[in-house]
Amino acid sequence: MGEVDYARTFDVLPSPFMIVDTDLCYVAANRAYLETVDRTLPELLGKSLFELFPNSGESGQRLRASFDSVMATGVSDTLAYLPYPLQRADGGFDQRYWTAVHVPLLDDEGRVAYVMQNTVDVSEFARLRAAATVPFTSLSAETRLIERTREAEASSADFRRLFQQAPGFFAILSGPRHVFTFASDSYLRLVGDRPLMGLPVETALPEVVGQGFIALLDRVFVEGYVHQAESARIMLLRQAGREPEETYLDFSYHPIRDPDGSITGVFVQGTDRTEAVRAAHLQRLLIDELNHRVNNTLATVQSIASQTLRASTDPALARQAFQARILALSKAHNMLSDRRWHDTDIGRLVRQELDAFDSSQVRYSGPALMVNSKATIALAMLLHELASNAVRHGALSLPQGRLDVAWHEDETDSLVLEWKEQGVPHVAAPDKRGFGSRLLDTVVVGELGGQLDLRYEPGGLVARLSIPPVGYIAQELSFG
Amino acid sequence: MANFSGRRVFVVEDETLVLFNLEDILADLGCEVVGQAMRLDQAITLAKSVGDVDVAILDVNIGGATVFAAAEILAEKGVPLLFATGYGRDGLPPEWQDRAVIVKPYSPQDVERALAPLLGVATGT
Repeated sequence: MGEVDYARTFDVLPSPFMIVDTDLCYVAANRAYLETVDRTLPELLGKSLFELFPNSGESGQRLRASFDSVMATGVSDTLAYLPYPLQRADGGFDQRYWTAVHVPLLDDEGRVAYVMQNTVDVSEFARLRAAATVPFTSLSAETRLIERTREAEASSADFRRLFQQAPGFFAILSGPRHVFTFASDSYLRLVGDRPLMGLPVETALPEVVGQGFIALLDRVFVEGYVHQAESARIMLLRQAGREPEETYLDFSYHPIRDPDGSITGVFVQGTDRTEAVRAAHLQRLLIDELNHRVNNTLATVQSIASQTLRASTDPALARQAFQARILALSKAHNMLSDRRWHDTDIGRLVRQELDAFDSSQVRYSGPALMVNSKATIALAMLLHELASNAVRHGALSLPQGRLDVAWHEDETDSLVLEWKEQGVPHVAAPDKRGFGSRLLDTVVVGELGGQLDLRYEPGGLVARLSIPPVGYIAQELSFG
Repeated sequence: MANFSGRRVFVVEDETLVLFNLEDILADLGCEVVGQAMRLDQAITLAKSVGDVDVAILDVNIGGATVFAAAEILAEKGVPLLFATGYGRDGLPPEWQDRAVIVKPYSPQDVERALAPLLGVATGT
């Protein structure tokens, strides 16, 4: 084989090439270039590029700047997209778009002697973008191919970006070991931003091994069926350095097939349902608790009705007593409701029952002391029975009667409450089986685990009750 | 109303007023309350020490705790159990689901109907 003829090779290169000297005058141009600019070689040689194809606009300046840069630095420069009208031999102008690469050709001393330009006419692309309706058939085969590739790349990137940022999570697992080759941002967040790419599931997410998911992936990969799950429970490490957390996912596994139909991987998609499942669970608990409380309250009201009717032969008195007891229960509920059913200040309970009486007759005092919800209901009913007894038979039935109520916390943290009536000339010990005394005894000793000292002194009833911390401080989830 | 005269009943109920109602119902049925607790520690102690019992009526939720620790002691002694709860049967854990339940609020007839089979008494209702 003989020596390569570089001049001939240059001439037949399919892409347009030309060479200018440092004055930007043509020294060479190949056939493709001559066709593109619609000139003959003699028309170009020795002529200035900018005299032949004048352009004082921005494109001309960019082209000149690129040549200057290559000559000054000796480094190649590319103009990716250059609008540059071309004057035809007949004097008219064609609007053309170019991609131009400028390469320096150095002399023996290493200085830039010439600059070679390779241009690609991208006018068809430009037209395509300007008028998206141009049918593909009007483009050259090469252009169509290039444009399709460009579109495919763009759309692939778009799809990737869409999946990457989708609110649901996506992952692609490749091969029989389920190696991560793609995971969306939301998938990464789901698993605590751990490194996944190139790792099999069992290595990347070790905590899921033994929870049945790998066996499912194996089945999808081998059998090619689609697995779907709703609100599936999984213990997942959601944050680095923390224990796996209970997580609920709607998800599906889809086999990925190649054009031959063989399964190459598994496409995973889903949504994190943990918050929704938790909310539904909480709602269920709240409804259960509400039912429980309503039923317990109804049982209490039922008992009040039954007790009141049993104790009284006078329907008018029974009705009055019943209403007063229900009102006392209702006020206790309201006080608890104000404190989110947590606790109540004992002072509020006492005030609620005794506020209606004249301060010259009734005094009460004590420090702020919180009692839990169960003790609130119990003490409200107790104080109500003591007060109504005082109104009917005791200190509050007489103008000269006097009632003092005081409470404090003793050295064992017990709540001590003293109820002292004075000025009652004829004190009669009430019926031991009466509702009031039965309630006092059962509430203090039975329900709250405390002690009750009930005395009928000359001048009036004196009650001292002592409730241990466990009876009024301990918090509970519910009452009853 | 059936006569459960002399039947010995063990009662756990943490609310005074609800307890009064149950005591009255049991008295009307002729039952004798041989053990009565309103708090869990008390219920456990009493369940251990109590003598012969024909049936136990147990409030499930007592002061925020559950009665099951006391229920186990009574069940081991072979005492028939009747749970009382505001939650209904769903409020019972699986191991106690097959036991008798009455839902609060209950009527004297509810208590009678629930106790009859546990005491081996036909009520005719």
